[in-house]
Amino acid sequence: MKNRLKVLRAERDWTQADLANALDVTRQTVNAIETGKFDPSLPLAFKAAKLFKMPIEEIFDGSDC
Amino acid sequence: MTTDNLAARTKQSNKELLTWTSSWLVSLAIVAFAPKFVWDFSPVYTLMALILNLFFGYKMIIANKRALDRMDELQRRIHFNAMAVSLGISMVFGAAYGLMEGVKLIDFEPNPSGILFVMGISYLISVFVGLRKYA
Repeated sequence: MKNRLKVLRAERDWTQADLANALDVTRQTVNAIETGKFDPSLPLAFKAAKLFKMPIEEIFDGSDC
Repeated sequence: MTTDNLAARTKQSNKELLTWTSSWLVSLAIVAFAPKFVWDFSPVYTLMALILNLFFGYKMIIANKRALDRMDELQRRIHFNAMAVSLGISMVFGAAYGLMEGVKLIDFEPNPSGILFVMGISYLISVFVGLRKYA
């Protein structure tokens, strides 16, 4: 599943560690999501949407699911 | 008990795992060696040591379960995958190992602790592979 986490993070000048801390996950998890190796759960996706104040579908592209 | 973030939860989990796993190991050694070397096979002491060992074992299992609950979802997936691999390998290895004496491939009685060793090693390797996969 493609996502815009890396772009959104870069726009805010956050490191992976900053985002990981905000989402209460490890930096490895943020990296795995950004690189498309791991798809987040629905609660984690909602948490990211809330953090970036955006609708979930603007962050995660589920068209290839 | 309140734990705020992942780092604090991980620290708490490590502390609990260290406490109960080491307690269980020490109590297991007591059950294994103390009846012969300390209290001359007195059944009362042996039973008490066994009950203590089972109690520490229970606490260790709960600590492991709590550690899993406190992980984030990727960590949890890595550990669940490792458990599946470890369980499968142990089952396959255990079944084959158990048959080896009967079919005269080995001339000693298979020791169940060999399966525990395989289980632990395969779990560690699987966790390492999982960490590398998602790195």
